[in-house]
Amino acid sequence: MKTTMKDLIKNILKSATLASMLLMTSHALQAAELKKVEKNIATPALKLESLKGATLDLKDEIGKVVLVQFWATYCTPCRVEMPSMNNLIKKLEAEKVPFKIIAVNMGESKEEVQRFVDEVKPEFTILMDTTGENTQAWNVFAAPSNFVIDTKGKIRYTLYGGVEWDSEEITKAIKDLAAEKGS
Amino acid sequence: MNQAFQKIRIFFLVLGMLFASSTLFASDEVKTITTNDDSEIDIRIFSATGNKLLIGFACDQGSSVAEEKTSQALAKDGIEVWMPDMLSAYMLPNVRSSLSEIPTDGLIKIIEEAKKTKKKIYLVASGPDTELILRAVADWEKTHGSSDNLLGGAILMFPRLNKTKPEPGKAPVYQDAVGKTKSPLIVLEGERTPNRWGVGHLTNSLKKGGSTVYAKLIPDVRGYFFKRNDPNVPEDLVTSQMSGLIKASLFFLGKAHK
Repeated sequence: MKTTMKDLIKNILKSATLASMLLMTSHALQAAELKKVEKNIATPALKLESLKGATLDLKDEIGKVVLVQFWATYCTPCRVEMPSMNNLIKKLEAEKVPFKIIAVNMGESKEEVQRFVDEVKPEFTILMDTTGENTQAWNVFAAPSNFVIDTKGKIRYTLYGGVEWDSEEITKAIKDLAAEKGS
Repeated sequence: MNQAFQKIRIFFLVLGMLFASSTLFASDEVKTITTNDDSEIDIRIFSATGNKLLIGFACDQGSSVAEEKTSQALAKDGIEVWMPDMLSAYMLPNVRSSLSEIPTDGLIKIIEEAKKTKKKIYLVASGPDTELILRAVADWEKTHGSSDNLLGGAILMFPRLNKTKPEPGKAPVYQDAVGKTKSPLIVLEGERTPNRWGVGHLTNSLKKGGSTVYAKLIPDVRGYFFKRNDPNVPEDLVTSQMSGLIKASLFFLGKAHK
């Protein structure tokens, strides 16, 4: 009788585990949100070669709101959210908001990243941090890790995890940062 | 006559199936330990004649096929393996939040029981389970000090020890158990996981308690590769040679624990 009860409880617990896993999966892209950077933290330098071979320096992007994302091909949320990043670019372009996305790959090979790009088709700049030096300089320990940088080059928001980048809330936050330009 | 033959055939078929299922992943024995709060922990024991004993977790008893195969391979090579089923013992679901609810006294009782074998004891856990073994080792050290040299250290496979969600631009905040032990530790992390970038930081944090800490990246594998439903070729290879990985880890721990 004792064994039967134990087995029954085990089965209930297994069901509860499965249910909570399903719940977590279905909310994977809704859970994360922009986090305001309260303290003034210095923006680390970022100068790297892109997948296409050109060198990009974050310093040259002053005047635009920039989303710097650290990502990897094996990161599932990164793959899922990239179409929404493409949409965000289109939305903001239509409204002439100065905005750029820079996606820094965390230490993978050009071949791996190219395969991913051919499949997922991100419409933004991919930088290659082959040594992981920049990843470490930016204190990035997980993927995707995002930094939203204002038009003066200051980190204003961070976000960890997958998110729908073309949501009203995020679009408004970026537009508000861009509007600060003249102030 | 035909019916009787059919019955005998079915009998042998059932017997064969029972025999096959009992030998495929069988442990030598199951030991039950009762904790101070009357929880019963079932431990599957893969006996061996060597002088090392590894206590590892298979919290999802029944579905941890890779761990069982590894235990059998280790036992063949002389390393005894004890697999306690902690979650079932405490009637907890197999989710991350459950692990921090497990008191250390159960695991400490298991270590006490393992000491009776006079073998050198090592612990191994993966993911968030690593928090429990760090907590247990720290509590063990508090009561046994350095006079007891039978606890040889712990293997932390893909440790997930963050207390809070990672925050871009900020150093991770770890569980309280990090940096509290003196025992040797080895961190194994998959090369194809974002956590690899935090291995250096975690290693330094673990060292704060006085441990010698080794960290190794396993090339071309993702985190939890041995539990994945979609393993790639290197992941399959490493899973099939997991016992070798553990033996190598024990070698490093042995070097640090004289």
